[in-house]
Amino acid sequence: MGSISFNHVFKRYKGESRPAVNDFHLTIDEGEFLVLVGPSGCGKSTTLRMLAGLEEISSGELYLDGKFINYVSPKDRDIAMVFQNYALYPNLSVQENIALGLKLRKTAKHEIDSRVKRVAGILEISHLLERKPSQLSGGQKQRVALGRAIAREPQVFLMDEPLSNLDAKLRSQTRAELIKLQQDLKRTTVYVTHDQVEAMTMGSRIVVMKDGIIQQVAPPRQLYDEPANVFVAGFIGSPQMNFMNGTVEVSDGNYYFSNKRMRVPLSGEQGLRFQRLSGLTHNIILGIRPEHVLIKRGSYEKDDDYIPGVVQMTEQTGADSYVYVELGKIRLIVRTAPEVLYEQGELVSVNLQMNKLHFFDEATEMAIGRDEA
Amino acid sequence: MIARLRKLRQVSPFQIVLVTVFTALAAFMSLPIIFIFSHAFKPKNELFLFPPRFLVQHPTIHNFEVLLLHASNATVPFTRYLFNSLLVVSLTLFSVIVVSTMAAYVLAKYKFHFKGLILSLITLSLMFAPETVSIPRYLIINGLGLNNTYFGHILPSLASPVAVFMLVGFISQIPNDLMEAARIDGASHLGIFTRIVLPLSVPAVATISILTFQTVWGDVETSTLFMQKEAMRTLPFYVNSLLSGLQNNVAGQNMAAAAGLLIFIPNLIIFLLFQRKVLETMVHSGIK
Repeated sequence: MGSISFNHVFKRYKGESRPAVNDFHLTIDEGEFLVLVGPSGCGKSTTLRMLAGLEEISSGELYLDGKFINYVSPKDRDIAMVFQNYALYPNLSVQENIALGLKLRKTAKHEIDSRVKRVAGILEISHLLERKPSQLSGGQKQRVALGRAIAREPQVFLMDEPLSNLDAKLRSQTRAELIKLQQDLKRTTVYVTHDQVEAMTMGSRIVVMKDGIIQQVAPPRQLYDEPANVFVAGFIGSPQMNFMNGTVEVSDGNYYFSNKRMRVPLSGEQGLRFQRLSGLTHNIILGIRPEHVLIKRGSYEKDDDYIPGVVQMTEQTGADSYVYVELGKIRLIVRTAPEVLYEQGELVSVNLQMNKLHFFDEATEMAIGRDEA
Repeated sequence: MIARLRKLRQVSPFQIVLVTVFTALAAFMSLPIIFIFSHAFKPKNELFLFPPRFLVQHPTIHNFEVLLLHASNATVPFTRYLFNSLLVVSLTLFSVIVVSTMAAYVLAKYKFHFKGLILSLITLSLMFAPETVSIPRYLIINGLGLNNTYFGHILPSLASPVAVFMLVGFISQIPNDLMEAARIDGASHLGIFTRIVLPLSVPAVATISILTFQTVWGDVETSTLFMQKEAMRTLPFYVNSLLSGLQNNVAGQNMAAAAGLLIFIPNLIIFLLFQRKVLETMVHSGIK
């Protein structure tokens, strides 16, 4: 019940040379919470709409439970969708909004009543059933939209940025409720968002998309620890990963990352990755997350592990503080405990945690080594 | 705090000017309505008074008595005209709403070939003065053999470019999300139309209803051109005939004054009724 399979699905719009969705190939397991994430215009919503049956599929095949559904109309797909703007019928009461899908499917009246009551109970909107959508707050509308989807008891839930119209506090609260709801209902859920925090916290698996192409499909932890390319590495995580260009060279059998500003020895395991590549020097992009950079007061020119720099500015978030350090032309963000205050223009030294480095090929921007290792 | 409240309660000079000007404007606009009421109750000598008086001095219902007397002596009873008018107006109103909303929904929300052309033809037809189309209309009605039938009254007003034009603008503002949600909920095209689009278009439908009612209720063209049998003609035609044609012009004046009021009242009622609906639905529709 509720497994979905995309088989090399494309979406092309007339008059546009680049496909909006380019070779989407993915299987979604039963009961999975899959999140599609990416910047606006990356094709994530189009993919969801194709799954809903609201957009035609240009080429490729779509299966639901092994059934070919390319040409099945939305109402016959056994899916429910929650829209970004909730799309509640303004002329109907909350009760009628939730019941409409069941009514149109000729469900018995007593069955409709009991389901509406149960759903309203789960979502704590029982006291709102007689109201019109215009009399509800944003959070309440959101619940009603959710209730409308749940009442139908479909195989698959589709959600198109359902939290983006809520304020920050309500959003994180609803996020937690959605996760719990999905765990209780155990229904396949495909969730579209542009917010990487939502993606990381909600998804059992995340699909990162850009320009209609899947960049990486992985569980949240893996996506964070082992990004497949520069785009994913930069998109997931806030503040974003630090990148610097440089080369990897061999001398005396040891591997070093170096650029104008630094020369860092790599560990044996990291060296091995480059050993497998042909050539002696490689132009690469080095990536390191802000929390994997250590920072010290003062300049330690002679210490090999520390690189001197100047504090450009500091951002306080309360729990952390982000220090922007300039190493010549390289700008590095360091996440650090908020207790130590760094002044603008202060001389500091930074140390990159060697085992947390990410390497990307400069030409292809793809991660080097990890997958094959 | 108290000072601030006091300040809020103070009315600015601008507001005073605004209220005065609008009240004056409203009073001026209501003059014709007051005149119609007052005119209907004037005795004959006041009707022909020169210079004319705006308000009635000695109100009487004599005019209505004369009108009823005249109507009961006519070859076709007054009630027949009234029946014709009511039937024609209600059928026309109903069919104009059905045809226009359906056409507008499709034009506003669906993609199909020649859609742009159809829309511009509708816009183009808005520019024709009604007089320019009466001869082609006559030819069509005559050709279809619709003379002396109720359909002959209805057909000319059925295609209402004004109504379609207004509704297209209104319906295209209904978010597509709603229709997509309904599609996923399992609604057919007709289901989406009747359950979502039509209820949400009530303000626009109310507006076109007022317009259509006023046009059709006061229309004498169909009765004059397409109906040769007196029994098929409508109320406005009868009222017009009191003043012109067979009747004595002077004797007809008092009947015309009374009939003018009688024929105006439904207009007023419909307008007040639907206007409240327009406001109500705009407030509660929650589209915005």
